[in-house]
Order: sequence, then C-alpha cells, then structure tokens
Amino acid sequence: STVWAPSAPPPGSPASTHCPGSRLACIKEPLYHPTMQIFLIQLINLFVCFIAQDVTYFCPFIGALSGTVLVTNYRLFFRCMDREPAFVLDLPLGVVSRVEKIGGASNRGDVSYGLVCKDMRNLRFAHKQMEDTLRKSIFEVLVKFAFPVSNGLQIYAFEYGQVFPENGWKVYDALSEYKRQGIPNESWRITKVNDHYEVCDTYPSTLAVPVNIPDEELKRVAAFRAKGRIPVLSWIHPESQATVTRCSQPMVGVNGKRSKEDEKYLQAIMDANAQSHKLFIFDARPSVNAAANKMKGGGYESEDAYQNAELVFLDIHNIHVMRESLRKLKDVVYPNIEDSHWLSNLESTHWLEHIKLILAGALRIADKVESGKTSVVVHCSDGWDRTGQLTSLAMLMLDGYYRTIRGFEVLLEKEWLSFGHRFQLRLGHGDKNHTDADRSPVFIQFIDCVWQLTRQFPAAFEFNEYFLVTILDHLYSCLFGTFLCNSEQQRFNVRTVSLWSYVNSQLEEFTNPMYVNYSNHVLFPVVSLRHLELWVGYYIRWNPRMRPQEPVHQRHKELLAKRAELQKRVDELQREVTNRSASSSSERTGSPTRSITPVQTFV
Amino acid sequence: MFSVKPTKPTFRSYLPPVQTDVKKTIESPPKKVEPKLLQGEIVVNEVNFVRKCLSADSSQEGLWGKLICTNFKVSFIPTDPPSEQKSHLSHLLLGLHDIPLTCLEQVVTVNDTKGKKKVLGSNQKLKFNPTELILYCKDLRIIRFCFVEAGPESAKKVCLAIAHYSHPADLPLLFGFEYQGRRYHDSKGQRVNDRGGLRTPIFDRPSDWDREIKRTGASEWRVCSINENYAISPSLPEHIVVPVSLADQDLKQNSIYFMNQRIPVWCWNHPNGSALVRMASIADPLQQRRIDQRFIPAITKSHPQRSEVIRSDLDKCLPNIQDLQSAFIKIRHICVIDSFEESEERWLSSIENTRWLEYVRAFLKHSAEMVYLLDGKNTSVILQEEEDRDLNCVVSSLVQLMLDPHYRSLVGFQSLVQKEWVMAGHRFLDRCNHLKKNDKDESPLFMLFLDCVWQVMNQYPAAFEFTETYLTVLSDSMWIPLFSTFLFNSPKQRAQYLMDFAKNKAIPQGEDQLVYFPPVWDWSQQYSTADQTLFNNPMFVGKGAACVQNGEVKTFRRTKKTYSATVRGTHASLRNGQKGGEDSLARRGSLLSELKPDFSLVKDESPSERFFRDWFSRPADQQSLLIPLLIPSHLALWKLYFLRWVPEACIFKGGPITAYHKLSQLVDEIEILQSHLRQYKGTRESGSTQLPGLSGPFSSQRRMYFKASSLQDPPSPPDFLTSSFPFTPSGNLCRRSTYGTPISKFLNGARIWLSTETLDNDPL
Repeated sequence: STVWAPSAPPPGSPASTHCPGSRLACIKEPLYHPTMQIFLIQLINLFVCFIAQDVTYFCPFIGALSGTVLVTNYRLFFRCMDREPAFVLDLPLGVVSRVEKIGGASNRGDVSYGLVCKDMRNLRFAHKQMEDTLRKSIFEVLVKFAFPVSNGLQIYAFEYGQVFPENGWKVYDALSEYKRQGIPNESWRITKVNDHYEVCDTYPSTLAVPVNIPDEELKRVAAFRAKGRIPVLSWIHPESQATVTRCSQPMVGVNGKRSKEDEKYLQAIMDANAQSHKLFIFDARPSVNAAANKMKGGGYESEDAYQNAELVFLDIHNIHVMRESLRKLKDVVYPNIEDSHWLSNLESTHWLEHIKLILAGALRIADKVESGKTSVVVHCSDGWDRTGQLTSLAMLMLDGYYRTIRGFEVLLEKEWLSFGHRFQLRLGHGDKNHTDADRSPVFIQFIDCVWQLTRQFPAAFEFNEYFLVTILDHLYSCLFGTFLCNSEQQRFNVRTVSLWSYVNSQLEEFTNPMYVNYSNHVLFPVVSLRHLELWVGYYIRWNPRMRPQEPVHQRHKELLAKRAELQKRVDELQREVTNRSASSSSERTGSPTRSITPVQTFV
Repeated sequence: MFSVKPTKPTFRSYLPPVQTDVKKTIESPPKKVEPKLLQGEIVVNEVNFVRKCLSADSSQEGLWGKLICTNFKVSFIPTDPPSEQKSHLSHLLLGLHDIPLTCLEQVVTVNDTKGKKKVLGSNQKLKFNPTELILYCKDLRIIRFCFVEAGPESAKKVCLAIAHYSHPADLPLLFGFEYQGRRYHDSKGQRVNDRGGLRTPIFDRPSDWDREIKRTGASEWRVCSINENYAISPSLPEHIVVPVSLADQDLKQNSIYFMNQRIPVWCWNHPNGSALVRMASIADPLQQRRIDQRFIPAITKSHPQRSEVIRSDLDKCLPNIQDLQSAFIKIRHICVIDSFEESEERWLSSIENTRWLEYVRAFLKHSAEMVYLLDGKNTSVILQEEEDRDLNCVVSSLVQLMLDPHYRSLVGFQSLVQKEWVMAGHRFLDRCNHLKKNDKDESPLFMLFLDCVWQVMNQYPAAFEFTETYLTVLSDSMWIPLFSTFLFNSPKQRAQYLMDFAKNKAIPQGEDQLVYFPPVWDWSQQYSTADQTLFNNPMFVGKGAACVQNGEVKTFRRTKKTYSATVRGTHASLRNGQKGGEDSLARRGSLLSELKPDFSLVKDESPSERFFRDWFSRPADQQSLLIPLLIPSHLALWKLYFLRWVPEACIFKGGPITAYHKLSQLVDEIEILQSHLRQYKGTRESGSTQLPGLSGPFSSQRRMYFKASSLQDPPSPPDFLTSSFPFTPSGNLCRRSTYGTPISKFLNGARIWLSTETLDNDPL
C-alpha cells in the first residue's frame, strides 16, 4: 500500500500543508525507499545523505511524534509510523534559515535541534545522544546540505535536470514584450547600450529609452544615477502614451549636485507623452529617508532642477523595517494564534500597514497614468526593491495581460528578474548567515499585495491562490533557477530549470475558474485596512485547522463540469432532432434549421 | 390611527396634519413632485427646495427636491431625478430616498451659522431654524438634508414632525396597523385562503410542531397544548413540545417554579436521539432539586440510549444584552460615523476594542460546544438562561444551523427564526426599541445571530441556499414596521394586539392572522420575483445533490443512517500525539526566544477540542454537520452589512459579488441546458420535429439574478457591480466632514454631543 502519496492532495486539504512542492512527484514515478517505507521522488541527481531512526519531531499542533528522518541533498523527510494516516513532514532544505542545537543533553540523554524556516514555521527535533560518537548527528548533515553555498557545495537547482514539455526560460523575451506594448514607436526606442552590462550590471541587456537620447548620453545619465540604474521604460499606456519608468535615486548628495543630462532625460520622458505637460516622480521612500540618503551621496530630484516635475514621497519603509515586521508577524501567527487580542497583535506587526502603503503607492501611480494621462518616474534608493514592487503592481492594475498566468510570469521576469531584484541576497539561498542584514521579504510582500488584489477582484486574475503560494514555496526551495541570482547578468549561462517550465506544464492546477477577461479594465483597489486582510492561506497554512482555501473555486469547477456534460447531452439531442426533422422536411413546420444558440462559455 | 381622523385622535400631534409651505419662485414650477403613498399613508408635513447631500463635504453636490414626513416614512422626492440612479434592489414599498420612521435611530438638527445642534425627541421644541437635518438610521445609513434654500419655518416643522412621528406613543400607532388593515380590505377579492401562500411554517399550530418532530425523528417527544390561550406562560407559544413521559398535569404544576413559567421545551432532535432543549432559570433555587428530579429524568428517558443530559447556563458564559448593545454601537460608530481616514489609522485595534467580533466568536464557540455534546458525545442538552428569551435564541438556532442542513435552506432558515425567535418569545419590540421608550432594553441579538450565520456562510459558501444579500435584507426588514415578525415581544402579545386590530378594522373573526397581518417571510410584499433571485446562492449544494467525497459518490438523505456518519468514530489515531512530559527539553538556548512557541507543548486537549480537530481533519460535507473555524483570524467583519453605505470602502467592479456574478451566470446556463434537455425529451417522445425554443414558463422560473450572457455581451462584470451591490452607498452615507467650519468639527465629536443633549446610544 502507498504509505505516502507522492502526489499531494488538492490545495488546501490538510495533508498538503505539510509538503509544499511535493506535487512535483506527479512528473516522475516515485521511487520506493525500503528503509523509510516511503516513496522518494525520483529527482535527477538526488541522493540520500542520511537516515536516522527514533527521531522525535515536536509538532506544535499534535505533540511529540517519533519517527524516521531522511535527509537528501534537496530535502528532509520525517515520517511517523505510529499514526494512521502516517504523519509525513517534507521540507525542501532551501527553506531552512537556521539550524541550531538547543541546550545540552537533557536528563533523558536527548539532543534537541531547532530549525527556523523562511516560510513561517519553526521545527524542532530531538534524538538520543549517539553512543557511538563517530556517527555524525543527522543535524550535522542537515547543516551541510541546508547551506550548500556556505559549505562550498552546489545549490540543488544546478543538479536538478528535470525535463518539462515547455522551457520556462522562454516565457519572457524582452523584445517581444516591448513589441506587445508597441515599442519601439516614434517616441521610444530599444537600446543595446547595456548589451554587455557595461552601463549597468544590474540591469537587463535590453532597455527601452526615449528616442531622442543617444546612447552616449545614456552613459552620462548613468553616472548620475545610483548603480548606473538610469530611468527606463517599464510600461506604456496604449492610448495616452503615458509611461511608467523606473530608475534609482539621483546622486544629488549634500551639495545638491545636478546633471544636465539627467534633467534633459527626464524632460524627454515627459515630452514623449503629448497628453501631459507634467511629470510625476514617485520616490518610494519616506521623505526623511530620502533626505538622509544625501549624506551617502544620493537623494532626490529637486523640483527646481526638474522643471514641470512633481516629486511625491510614498512613505514606504526600507528592507530592514519590512524584515522586522515579518518577524513579528511570524511570532503572532506561528504556531498558534492567541485567542484574545488577535487584531491588535496583528496591528502591532504593521505588516498590513506596509502592504497598504505599497498598494497605495502603486494605486497612485496607476491613477496618474490612467486618469491623469501623465507619465511617472518611480525610484527608491537603488531601484531594485520598492521600485519593483511599485512598478509591477501598477502594471498589474493597468494592464490585464499581466493578470493572466503567462502575463504574470512575464511581469516577474521583467520587473523583478531582469531589473535585478537581488533574490540571492534578499533570501540568502544556501547561506548560513541568517543574520545577514541584506535579507528582506520584499518579494513576499509583493506577492501578498497581488493576493490582496485577487481578493478584491476575484474574477480579474487568471491564476489562483495556489499559484501564488507555489511561487513563494519555490522562492525558497532552490529547486528551480528562477529566483536564484541577483541579476540578469548572473543568471546568464546558468543551467537550471525555470519554475515556469513546471507551472506551465500543469496550468490547470493554477487556473482560477472564475477568471473573466476584464480586457482593458483598470483595477482600482480600495487601499484601506477595511479590505486588506492577512493572507491566512499562506501565513497560517501550517495550522492543521486551516480549511480548504478555495471552496468557491472548487464549486465552480464542479459546476463547469456539469455544464459541459449537459451541453454534450443537449448537442446530441439537438443533432438527433435535426436529423429527424431533415428526414421529414416535407412537413415544413416552422423553421427547422433554427438551432439553439449555444450558451456562452467563458472560462 | 396616527392622527388621520381628527375626530378620534389616538395620537395627538401638535402639528397640523398636512402642511404645505411651498415657496413659489418666478421660474416655472418644476414638474409635480408627489410622494408615493401606501394605503393608509398620509403626508404629515413637507418642505420644498431641500438639498439631499450626496457627499460628505459641504460642497454643493446634492439632489434638490421635496422632503416629506408621512405617518410611515421620511420621503425625499428629487425634483429632477438623475436617470442613472438605477437601484438594483428596488423595494416595492419604499423609494430610493425613503426611510421608514421606525428605522430612525436619531434625528439631529443643526444650525451651522449659529453653531447649534439639537437631537430631537418626541414633542420637543426647537429654538433655532435648522440649516441641516441629519438622520441616523438603524440600518446604518446616515442621511443629510440641507435647508439653506428652504423656507425656515417649514423646514423646522418637518424636522419636528419627523422627530415626533418616529417616537410613537404606543405599538398600534406603528404604521403597519394602518397599512395592513387597509390592505386587507382592499385586496379581499384576490386572496387565496392558504396562509398567504407561505411555505415557511409559523409554529403557531400543533401540526407545524408535529411535522418537525417527525422530520427529526423525535419519537419520544410530543406536542403539548397546556399553554393554549397562554394559560401557563405569557411568553411561550401555545403549543410546545415536551417529553412523552411528562403528563400535562405534571408540567402545569411544575411550571410555576420557572421564570415566566418557561418550562424546558424541545427545540430539535439529533438523529442519534439527543435532544436540544431550552428553558428559563428556576425562580426559586430551593426548587432546583425538585425540578431536576422531575424534568431531567424525563428528558433522559426520551433519549433512546437514556444518555445523560447536560445543562448549559448561558448567563454564566456569554456576554449579556448590554454588552452586546454597547459593542454594536461601538462597531457601528467606527464603521459609519467616524471619518474614514481617521478610523483607518488604528482600524484593527479599534475593531477589536468594540468586542463585537469577540462576542460573535463567543456565541459561535459556545454553540459549537453544544454541537459537540449533541453530536460527538451523544447527550441531550438543555440551554438555560434567566428568561430563555435572548441568549437561548441565538445559541439554540446556531446549534441547529450547524447540525441540520435543513435550516440552511431558505425555508428552513425562516422556520428556524420563526421557531427559535418569534414563537420562542424573543422580545423583538423591546430589543429593537421600536417605540424608542426604553433604551436599556435595546440590544442587537438578532443582528448578532445574523452575523454569526454570515460567519458560517463565509467559511462554507456552498452550504447555504441563501446569500448574504438575503441576510442583509432580512436585517433591514426589522426596521420596516409592516410585518408581524419583528413587532412583538411574544406570541401572546402578538395575539392580543392582532385581536384588537382585527376588531377595530372589522376583520371577520376566525380570519388567519397571517392573512391580515403577514410576516416578513412573504417576500413578494417587499421585492419583485426578479429581485428576490438575489437571495439565491448559485453555489448551494442542495438536498439530494450528489457529492464526490473520498472518491465515493454520496447522496444525502436525511436518514439516521447517513446522518450518523457525522458521529465521528474513535479517536485512537490521535492519541499518539499526546505524549506529555517533554518539557525537560525546553532549555534556555540561543534559539529559545525565536523558537519559543514550539516549546509550549500541545496542552491537554479537551474531548471537544479533540472532536473538533478530528472533524476538521476530514473534508467538510456541506449537507451535514458544519463547524465554523474559530481561530480569531478566521472571523471577519461582515463587510456587506457594516460597510455597504461607506462610499470610500466601495470597490468598483470588484468584491465578492463579481464571483457571485460569474457563478450565477454559470448556474443559469446549466438551468437553461437542463430545460433544453427536458424539452428535447418531450419532443422525442411526442415525435415532433419542431425544435424547442426557450420560451414559456421557463424564463420566469430562472433562479439566478445574473442570466447567462449572450455572445454579444462582454464577459466582464457589468459596470454597476460594486462591493456594496445591491446597495448604493452614494447619498446614503453623508457623515459631516471633519474639515471645514469649526462647527462641523464640533459636530463630529460624539462626546460633545453627549454633554449637551441626551444621546443615549452614542458610545463614549
């Protein structure tokens, strides 16, 4: 009998909460491991590193469970045989942020270890002190494989060679995406000035810039922008030609340095849009922080230097504040939520407040572009964290294409991967230095914002909640190469599998059955705490009390199946009647050719 | 009634009945603006050139028209009604701008220039000419009228009339008594004599109870009529259900020991034989033993397994009616009265501080505990409350809603309200404070119940035949005094008033009360058949619907056998997790602070917790037992109810309604196909070659509000869909803005109001 079903049950069913990513098993036949009595997913180049029996896992919901642990170079399995159904914990090692021995040997001679995970859970194991000191503890093995980068090993994604029907790396092609937006046109051109990442090593090689700024000038603009991240086009409005452009902060410094080229450049961005004689510069930071950056040579555009530009600060806090906020959130939700003071505890984490500020900023950008027909420039300090959140969310509101599964993949590839969100640094893949100040949940926040939008517009997105959760699971899993590096340059020539290869080979799983193509409709969410909610389907999913998150979707799917079946039966009968009426057409009753208009099927 | 007949005034008004004070202007008079009046409705007072404010700021945005006070409602008739103001749920008896007088919570007059304001009660004087009238409504609307262009005296008179007429001196002065009398006589010819075509049982006769006993298989219980003519208890219904082993004489003798003589009465039976019983407290504690020896064994005897009876004293473990009232006032304040931006700042903790959600959770939680006793523990349960007329209503109906899918159908739900609220003697008149006489008795228990139902519905969207729109509309109906359901404190009071009413209105003796004073359940009184389709939930998995569960197709029939599947088996599998004594491992370590939550080992689970955990580990069966998740993170604010009038909170082309739209189109398509199939089968059988079309009776039977879209229609949701749908926030919420004149700032603070006028219901 199958003691552990390798293919995870449908999203939300209790068992699946313990094994994210295990759905991958569908792709290959599972491999039976006799010692563990489990089926191992046959991943290419997966090897078993260690097996230990009589390990205790302290489940915060069930209590202590005794079982066997198996560690591979990709994941950790724990299996408890005493229960029916068997209890299985399945953890990609990539989610482990920290492994530590807790205290000394207890009076029972147990050694206890704690695992702090990046995906909102902590795990605790204990096992008997090994009498044979030569035998390594499983946790020494764990430390080695959980932090391959720190141990001179390779991240598993580089060994994982699964072949999928589609190559996800082909989903995004910068030129086709710009072409879809109508670029190049009379005002915007594609430049190859960064083809070898010489102007900016954190930017993509393909950039869209105003037509009348030659490449030489771009280089001078780059000198005035932090890390050389010049203003480039993210999105253009198909009708008004108002644009969303992104960059890093200007290197103004304490002395208020100016750059003629930069000023001219922003003027060119404004001029490219005939509808408006204004340009809005959205600085994502609180004004205090923006001002403080002058001390480090940075700063913000002064309205004196940039004629017709209006500067707006969006008050979004930096990566450190966000990290702290998520840490607090974890304290509040994991493992259990206190019966009292839930809302004030949630409020004290400020998580939703940060979500609100980010969405509010994106909404202002979208509104300026859509309603004000005005072009906007978005930046923060370096333009790879808050800037990406803002531009991609605004684009999601403005352009229905990005609300499809493929469109969303393109959006991530473009605004996050190609524009150099530093995934490696922000997530610390395979790196044991868990206190690294560069780590921050910037991308998680973005996905949370997307989820908030899907809550307010349940029919406007082609993807479902499971799609978003899957993205976050593989953000850490290190199975796919998608979220591994810091920039397009680093990702170049790296042989890994794209997450989209996997996703696009089973789209059904990720599709929102209620999706209706809103076509050109712009989404204006209500950015208020009255509507923003904690994403329980992600942050509280480890709690076994969590119910299926998408009962509405489930029901919708059932209804779709019913409709298909009925349509089939009606079609059959219609054919039958038509045939019969054709054979006796001499009777001429009414209009025998009249057929029933098939009911519209938008799915 | 209501000063209509000057010869026999039952309600004396100091105002002339009809006051017209139309200031003539040089311009040609606008087209005639006349109120739409119901039978028996008369205009008391009116004023022209009034501006109804449509937005919060004191800008000129507004509608011009006539403000009218009748003996039923406050009506505003726009001179030039904007054509796009299409309401998607149009009330048959109330216009878009109408407010029933019973729906008024507070009538506030303001004079901006003088910096004065006054909360008006009955028979009061007003020393200044109002420039503004603000109406705070019980359905959470806030409506504001501006009198700058209106005749000052007429404006004042209308304000006073509204205040006066919204404080009726006596129950029969509520407009329903006038209206239903007229309606009865006017529509005599068209009436079919079958309880007004109601499908909802009213539980005013033994047969309704009998059917319920049979439906639940409560063979050890009987209908008892000792309370006929309310001979025993003034607040119990005439027919009650009691253990078969108790004789009428016994019941009569012992009834005196209970508050209000409310002896233990049966509510519902579990297929396993456990019964849900409710009762009042024992008036004389010395009689406790005697009662215990009389009733408890009889209830035990009525259980097939003679299993024990557990009594739950709700007064001891749940918030009281004052707690609930104060929580409701607070949450209403935060949701609609406070300025949007200001309350945004600490929204979550403000909501928490109202304690409303905490109370909602407490009631759901206690009900779930009762469910465990009845279902998991197989014991009968007695709900005990001092008067058995408030908390018991909430808990008893919630327990039944969780256990019995019948009550999640529309008719079943209405029968539940009828059985556990109306006939059980919930004091609707006092709790709604329709006469505005005693604010101490006002409490939103029914509202709390509806919120609890919504929470369950929110977690199990396919389990209910009806929608949240239905629940909201039902809550609004409480404030329309035309239906017998929410007007009385008890069946006895209802009987008495309606008897007098029938006599006064020359209604023949023996006529069914439901015919001459119908309950709210006849929805055709308020909404067209088409609008009523908004009550239908497209996701509902109905009776007999097959459902695939664990690969097995199941059909739900309410038989003991399938039902007992909800009585979960042994919990052996769970015991493994219950090892204690690992605390020794919780040593101080570098990780300790971060890992702390894990160290608090799973505390000893109570049997009910184990029952719940076991239940939650299985897929929920929509047509069986349902237990809501009660983790605080899973209880939400009921946005449609609390925020529907708030324009700032309105999501355009968004909100849950867009999913509802899509689903109901899909279900409509399914129903069209099913109808085609039937027609085709008909053609095949008759051998006709005529192709069936979509016509005839089918089109009127379509259950879904949103019809299948044709190929021409765009698939995207229609532009009028908002998160407030089918309600329109525009013009229905006009709180005074904080900025602007100092007086408006002053007005915004409820605290200051309190110090100058009695604002009984304003929270601090």
